[in-house]
Amino acid sequence: MEDSRSDDSNLNPIRNRNPNPTPNPLSTIISSAQVWPTIDGPLGLTEEASVDYARRFYKFGFALLPWLWFVNCFYFWPVLRHARAFPQIRNYVVRSAIGFSVFTALLSAWALTFSIGGEQLFGPVYDKLVMYNVADRLGLSGLA
Amino acid sequence: MDRNQRPRSIIDSLGEELIAILTPVSICMFTVVLLVCILNSDPSSSSSASFSSIATAAYSESDSDSSWDKFVGAFLNSLVFVAAITVATFVLVLLFYLRCVKFLKFYMGFSAFIVLGNLGGEILVLLIDRFRFPIDCITFLILLFNFSVVGVFAVFMSKFSILVTQGYLVWIGVLVAYFFTLLPEWTTWVLLVALALYDIAAVLLPVGPLRLLVEMAISRDEDIPALVYEARPVIRNDSRLVQRRVWRERRSSQNDNDDIEDRTNRNEVVRVVRSAEVDEERVGSSERAEISVPLIDRRPDQVENSETFLEGIGLGSSGAIKLGLGDFIFYSVLVGRAAMYDLMTVYACYLAIIAGLGITLMLLSVYQKALPALPVSIMLGVVFYFLARLLLEVFVVQCSSNLVMF
Repeated sequence: MEDSRSDDSNLNPIRNRNPNPTPNPLSTIISSAQVWPTIDGPLGLTEEASVDYARRFYKFGFALLPWLWFVNCFYFWPVLRHARAFPQIRNYVVRSAIGFSVFTALLSAWALTFSIGGEQLFGPVYDKLVMYNVADRLGLSGLA
Repeated sequence: MDRNQRPRSIIDSLGEELIAILTPVSICMFTVVLLVCILNSDPSSSSSASFSSIATAAYSESDSDSSWDKFVGAFLNSLVFVAAITVATFVLVLLFYLRCVKFLKFYMGFSAFIVLGNLGGEILVLLIDRFRFPIDCITFLILLFNFSVVGVFAVFMSKFSILVTQGYLVWIGVLVAYFFTLLPEWTTWVLLVALALYDIAAVLLPVGPLRLLVEMAISRDEDIPALVYEARPVIRNDSRLVQRRVWRERRSSQNDNDDIEDRTNRNEVVRVVRSAEVDEERVGSSERAEISVPLIDRRPDQVENSETFLEGIGLGSSGAIKLGLGDFIFYSVLVGRAAMYDLMTVYACYLAIIAGLGITLMLLSVYQKALPALPVSIMLGVVFYFLARLLLEVFVVQCSSNLVMF
């Protein structure tokens, strides 16, 4: 297996997309100091596309999807870390983070109440709501 | 610094990429073995009798049949299954030929939702039932809904968090593989061998559907919309993004230079954005195009929906190794079925599969075209399973019961 090198400069004489074909140490420093908005770094989105993605994830998260908010925050983690770099994206990501925390607090409050309270707190409703009974009733756990 | 000047040898890049593809395969196999061990621990649970799908359409195994009957029945089952897969793959080729790419992508997202929601929900219910976990159905439904919808996003959208996408693909592989392990025993083994043979035929024969698909994808320079696991492309430390082994096919003189340059420029856009510097050495010819790999498989289901899983191994457009999800599934099925016997066979089969995968990767680097990833691993796995079960176990049990250990 061998590595093949990029052949950009050979291919773009007309387009002139790369106006500086010779290696420039200054550009190395500048480009390596660039902060990418996504957690994937240079493999992820560019900044313009990120705003679109962040907005879309934030809006979709309102359809009872806190996990999507969490993935939003996870994906744009560098935005949260470098507070000044990406103002537009940061807006949506921070709101997603808040939404996720609120939803998780509510959901875990309910789930913990249910599991810890158990039969004593709920009475007969517990048996109707708990998952393994629901599964038995609907015949799901028999691996039809 | 000395490091920058020393040329990166093959060992540095090779190890990283091998690990990048071996880790998810191992995680998938480990999770399936775990699920099998947890969920099948009580022998009274429903085993082969109630699971019916297309793979047991011709013959459903029962314990009272003789070995020959079971073998013939399993063979018929496998024939039916492979025929169904062939038909589904040809339908996929036809759709791709008619450029219904949007429909394929939509179908892929839909099937991911079904797998994650339906199969995932069922496995979770089984786990909850097994451990008597006091969760209520509202919370469960919300969590399941979340999980499935984000999974659909991960599979559907091309630019998504790499880690999340990879995690979801592995999880889909785990779910489907677990359901395949519920097939009757003889059917499973004969099916695996039959699929390995089908894979060779479909990828390497000139009339094979997968080869047709790959050639169409090459000629149109598109990616096939299917569930394929792509390892994260490796970036060097010295900020020069080198094109990693993007093997390309030499275009014949059909295309003139402008056309090629345009196409390779489009492919190269991503790299131009990424590469901060240009290397002094350049790739010789610019008239090359990239290949992405796919092979397609179909998952049987009670509901008969076919999904675009892929089998096969190759390199994607960013130079990362791509392994079809069908490979994940069938490796895990083999190991899961071995787990139903004993953990010793699991170890033997795991090592065999990893060795087979390594051999396939070597062949990939030698031949530089799309290769079927199933045959070598499955053959080695099956051979090692039977050797371990028939010969090794007796030996090891005798040794350990007489306290003679190595």
